[in-house]
Amino acid sequence: MISPLLLAAALTVAPAQPAPDPDEAAFRETYRTLVETDTTLAHGDCTLAAARMADVLRAAGFAEDRLIPYAAPDHPREGGLVAIWPGRSGKLKPLLLVAHIDVVEAKREDWPRDPFALSEQGGYFHARGAFDDKAQAAIYVDAMAHLARSHARPKRTVKLALTCGEETNGAFNGAQWLAANKRELIDAAFALNEGGGGRTDGKPLMAGGKVIAQTIQVGEKTFANFRLETRNRGGHSSAPRPDNAIYQLAHALDRIEGYSFPIEFTPTTHAYFQAVGTARGDGVGKAMVALAADPPNAVQTDKTALWQVDTDAFLHSNIRTTCVATMLDAGHAPNALPQRARATVNCRIFPGHSVDAIGHELERVIGDPEVGVTALPPLRPTPPPPPLDPAVLDPARRLVAKYWPGVALVPAMANGYTDATFLTAAGIPTYGVPGLWGDPDGNGVHGLDERIEVRSLLTGRRFLNDLIRAYAF
Amino acid sequence: MIARILAGTALAAVASQTALAAEDPGEAAFRATYKELVETNTTLSSGSCTLAAQRMGAHLKAAGFADDQIVYYATPEHPKEGGLVAILPGTSPKEKPILLLAHLDVVEAKRADWTRDPFTLIEEGGYFWARGTLDDKAMASVWVDTMARLKAGKVKLKRTLKLALTCGEETSGAFNGAQWLAANKRDLIDAEFALNEGGGGRTDGKALAEGGHIVAMSVQVGEKAAMDYRVETRNPGGHSSIPVKDNAIYELSDALLRLRDYDFPAELNDTTRAFFGKAGAVYGGTVGQAMQTVASAKPDSDGFKQAVALLDHDRSFHSTLRTTCVATMLSGGHATNALPQRAGAIVNCRIFPGHSFEEVRADLSKIFADPGVTVTTTEPDHPIAKAPPMDPQVIRPIEALTAKYFPGVPLVPTMSTGATDGIYLEAKGIPTYGVPGIWANPDLNGIHGLNEHLEVASLIKGRAFLYDLVLAYAK
Repeated sequence: MISPLLLAAALTVAPAQPAPDPDEAAFRETYRTLVETDTTLAHGDCTLAAARMADVLRAAGFAEDRLIPYAAPDHPREGGLVAIWPGRSGKLKPLLLVAHIDVVEAKREDWPRDPFALSEQGGYFHARGAFDDKAQAAIYVDAMAHLARSHARPKRTVKLALTCGEETNGAFNGAQWLAANKRELIDAAFALNEGGGGRTDGKPLMAGGKVIAQTIQVGEKTFANFRLETRNRGGHSSAPRPDNAIYQLAHALDRIEGYSFPIEFTPTTHAYFQAVGTARGDGVGKAMVALAADPPNAVQTDKTALWQVDTDAFLHSNIRTTCVATMLDAGHAPNALPQRARATVNCRIFPGHSVDAIGHELERVIGDPEVGVTALPPLRPTPPPPPLDPAVLDPARRLVAKYWPGVALVPAMANGYTDATFLTAAGIPTYGVPGLWGDPDGNGVHGLDERIEVRSLLTGRRFLNDLIRAYAF
Repeated sequence: MIARILAGTALAAVASQTALAAEDPGEAAFRATYKELVETNTTLSSGSCTLAAQRMGAHLKAAGFADDQIVYYATPEHPKEGGLVAILPGTSPKEKPILLLAHLDVVEAKRADWTRDPFTLIEEGGYFWARGTLDDKAMASVWVDTMARLKAGKVKLKRTLKLALTCGEETSGAFNGAQWLAANKRDLIDAEFALNEGGGGRTDGKALAEGGHIVAMSVQVGEKAAMDYRVETRNPGGHSSIPVKDNAIYELSDALLRLRDYDFPAELNDTTRAFFGKAGAVYGGTVGQAMQTVASAKPDSDGFKQAVALLDHDRSFHSTLRTTCVATMLSGGHATNALPQRAGAIVNCRIFPGHSFEEVRADLSKIFADPGVTVTTTEPDHPIAKAPPMDPQVIRPIEALTAKYFPGVPLVPTMSTGATDGIYLEAKGIPTYGVPGIWANPDLNGIHGLNEHLEVASLIKGRAFLYDLVLAYAK
C-alpha cells in the first residue's frame, strides 16, 4: 500500500449520517475472517484467505463457475481469487475491483497485541492488515456478496481480483501473474484499487475530528533498484594506494547526491498542484500553483517557486524522478584495501521514462566509466499514467461531495507504487479510489499496531458500494 | 603479513643472485609440507588453524619430536583458532632460547573473485599461486621444515629453539594466538628474541627466473601500530520514495572523501632515518637523492618538503613517512526501499610510533569536520609498537648471510608499516625481528588481495637462508 496523499488545508465538514444496515454484521464477520487469516510471506497463506473469501461468496449465491481460485504451482500459498458477477450490457466493458490480501510481516513480540487477532478498541480496529489492504478487500468481497444476495442485474459485469504479493518485492505477484497469464479473465474498462483515500485533521471522527481531504490516485511512479559497483585490485591496508574502491564509490554517490532530475508534470500532478496549491494558500501553495501554471518559466526565471516546493519532501519527489542511495557494502577485511564496493540506489521513476533511460542518466551523472551501474531484478513495467477520465472521476467527485460536503476530490500521483503498475501496463487503467480515511500519522501501516477507525471502515464500505453502483449500474 | 618496504629501481650489476644452493634431498618433503599448509583453509570464516596446526605437528612428530615437545593450544571459545608450540632443547643452560614465530591464518579469499581456487596450490610461470603462498605460510612451513630437519638430523644446538604457530594475525578483534600465548603462556614462549615475518627482499619487478634482480633485503626493526576506527553516521531514515536532504550514506561518503584528500604530516624516527639513508644510497637518481634528503634535512625545510612530495608517489614510502588511514569496509542501510538509518565504515589506520590511538581518533574527527560523524576505536586495543634495539648479535648474522646468499644486495633496517604479532611479544619483553630471506615483487604479490603468489625460487632459497640463520643463532 502507498500512503494516502496528504492535503493540508483543514475544512469544516460533518460526516453523512449512516443509515441502519442489516448486512453490516455479516460484513464485520467477513472482515474479521480475512484479517485473522495470516497472509504474510514468511508464515501466512493467501490461498487459504482466498478460499475463505470464496466461501463467503458461495454462501451469498455465487455459482461455482463464477469463482476462480488460482495459484501458481511453485507458489502454492500465494494464491488468490477471481470472482465474476455478470452484467447485462453486451457493449460496456467490465469493472474490475482489485485488492491485495497479503500483508507486511508483523512480529508478535514487537506488537502490543497479537497482530493476527482483530481487536476493537477506542473506536479503532487494530491488527496487521486492518487497513492495508484487507479493509478494501473485505469491502469488495462484501459488495460482490451483496450483488449475489440481491440478484443484482448491473449493466457492467463486475469482477473481483484478490491478489497476493503486493507487499513483497521479487516474490510472486498475483496481479502481475494475472495480467500475464489470465488477461481475458480480468479484462475490464478500468480497475478500482487502493492508493487513494481520505485524511483526517489528526483526530478520530468519533472524537470530533474531520476528514479534510479525499484523493483519487491516477498514476504512480515506478521504481527500480540500481547497483553501483567499483572494483579495485586491493592489497594491504598498511600501504594505501591512490585508487580505492570505496573512495571511487563515495565519489559516485557524491555526484548522485548533488544531482536533481528535471521537474515534470503529468495531467494528474498538474491538477493536484493547482488544487492543493490553491487550497493551501501558503507560500508553498502559491509556489505549487506557479509551478503548475508555467513550469518552464517558473523553473528558469523564478527559481524560488521550485525551491519552495522542494522544501516539502513529498512534493519534491512528486515532480521528478528521484534516486537515493539506500544500502552500502564494501570490503572483505578491515586490514585489506577494498577489492569491491557496492551501493544500492533506489530510484522512483516519473511516468514516461524507462528503467534503461534512468540507468544511463545515472551513468552520465556519475561520469566515471569504471563505476558499474546495473538495474537489479525484479524489473517493473513503466506504463504511462491512466487518463483523467471523466467517466471515472465524475461519479467519484459527486459521491465525495455527498459523503463529505465541502471536501474536494483531488487527483494525485503516488510516489510509491501498487499493483496498479502491472494492470495499467496490461491496458487496464487503474485508479486508487477515495473513501477509506486514515490519520496523518499513517495508522501504523507497514509498521507497528496497524489500525483503522471503525467509522472509516463502515463509512468507506457504504461509499465504495455506492461508487461501484455508480459505475456498474 | 606486513608489506615489504623497499622500492623498485633496478640496481645495476647485481651478480649471481639466482645461483641456487645444491640440490637438497629434503626439498621434496618441504614442498609437500608447504602444499599441505597452503591447502588447509585457515580463514576465520570457513577455515581451521587448529587443523593446520595438527597437520604441522604431525610432521614434527614424524621427524622425532616427543609428544611432550609439541604443545597444542586452543581456547574452548575458539576451537578452530588454535596453534602449536614446539620445543627443541639446546645444550646450554645459560643461553636463552630463540623463538621462531609464524602465523597460520590467512586473509579471506572468495573463490568468485579469484582466477583460481585460492586454496589449491598451483605452480605456474615460476610462481606458486594460492592464498597464503607468501603471507605467512611460506615462513610458517620453512620454520616447521627447519625444526624437523634439525631434529631428524640430530643437530646439536646450544640454544633451545622454540616454534610458535599462531592464529589470528590477520583478523582484528578475533582471537589472536600470539597475544594469548604472551598473556597466558609467557614461560612457554620465553626467548631472548624472536624471528618473525616483516623483513624480506624486494625485486626490481621481475621474477629472478626472468632475469630480475633483488634490489634490497630488509630486516624489520619496529613497526607501526594498527587500529580500526569505526566511523558512523545516523539518520531518522524513512521511505525511499520520498528522499530527504540528510542521508546517512551521503554524509558518510562526504566524510570519506575528505579523508581521501588528507595526508598526515611526514615524520621520521631512528629506524626510518637509517632506512632512507641506506636505501637512498642504493637507489641513486632523483629518488635516491630524495631519500637521502629526508634522512638528513630539517623536517620543515623546503628541501625536505620537496623530497617528501616526490617520495609520496611510492605508496610504501608514503606509508613509511607518516600515519596513514584508509577506508577498508562499508556497510549501510537495512532495506533497498528505505532511507538508510545508519551507515558505517571501517577506517584502518597505521600509526607512526609515538602517537596514541586517541590522538589519531581526534585527528580523524577533525578531518571529517562533521559532528554527525562519530569515530570510535574498536576492540581489542593492541599495544602501541615500541621499536626493539638494533642488537648486533641479531643483525650481524643476518648481514653475513645476506652477503653470502645475495652478494651485492644491501641490507636495510626498516620499520614495518603494518602491524605484526611482534607487537604482543615486544610488549612482554621479547624483542622481535622481521628476518629477510624470502623476496617479493614491488607490487607485493597480491598479499591480502587477489591471486596471491610467490616466486618458487624465493621460497626455496629463502628456506635455505632461514635454516642457516637459525643455525647461526643457535649453534
